Amino acid sequence: MSISHYVFISTALFVLGVFTMVARRNAIYVLMGAELIVNAAALNFVAFWRHKGAEMTQMSGQMFTIFIIILAAAEAAVALGIILQIYHHFPNIDVTGPKSLSQ
Amino acid sequence: MLSFVFYFFAACTLIGALLVALCPKLVHSAFSLVLTLFGIAGLYFTLGADFLGIVQIVVYVGGITILFLYGVMLTPRDSTRWSILGLLLPGALCAVPIGVMLHLAWKGLEEVGDFGQVPALSPPTTQRVGELFLLRDKYLIPFELASIVLLVALVGSVYLARRRRES
Repeated sequence: MSISHYVFISTALFVLGVFTMVARRNAIYVLMGAELIVNAAALNFVAFWRHKGAEMTQMSGQMFTIFIIILAAAEAAVALGIILQIYHHFPNIDVTGPKSLSQ
Repeated sequence: MLSFVFYFFAACTLIGALLVALCPKLVHSAFSLVLTLFGIAGLYFTLGADFLGIVQIVVYVGGITILFLYGVMLTPRDSTRWSILGLLLPGALCAVPIGVMLHLAWKGLEEVGDFGQVPALSPPTTQRVGELFLLRDKYLIPFELASIVLLVALVGSVYLARRRRES
């Protein structure tokens, strides 16, 4: 499978992630869109690492993607904590709802 | 054989992502995210990154999706009723970048040309990854910094999600 196949998949994932972030009102959907986007970028890293050829034993694509996964996990945990705190203060977690933190 | 596996996992990934984007119910989207992440793990395996595929399954599917399901459980139920305008406007906003990006991707990859000989896959990569993390000192400092980031995120998210006492 040439690299164009993997780039096509990562592009499609990225666009679907952006669509999810833009077209949904619940804050958890926004997070899921962010996860799709991060996974698209990670897939790109691994695809280019694989098809570069000469430096495959340096594992650079794989290492960077491991760090991407670690940081995305940390980000998801903190973001969900923030969402739960927002839910304590406002009646729902609609992203089009609260316009000021002191509302 | 490889192309069949690739197309299977590519189909899993894209169908899962479509369901995440379009399902009206929040819980269905959360489960479709599981399908998408499994598909991406499969694609990592076809690319020869076997350690990464296992890390993806253990951390993303086993950790982050559980986290999302807890978030879905603790927040109010949500169903999106799609309207034509609500679907078409973001769709059009995303269709322009997809056209541009696909065009650039195809044209750019043609211009870069041949990447050279793609080497044969040589799993397992776990030993090499472990050496790079700890022995060859190439990724030792990022490894330690990543564990500090995880510790900070752990303490921070527990503090952020605590229940307020009514006092």
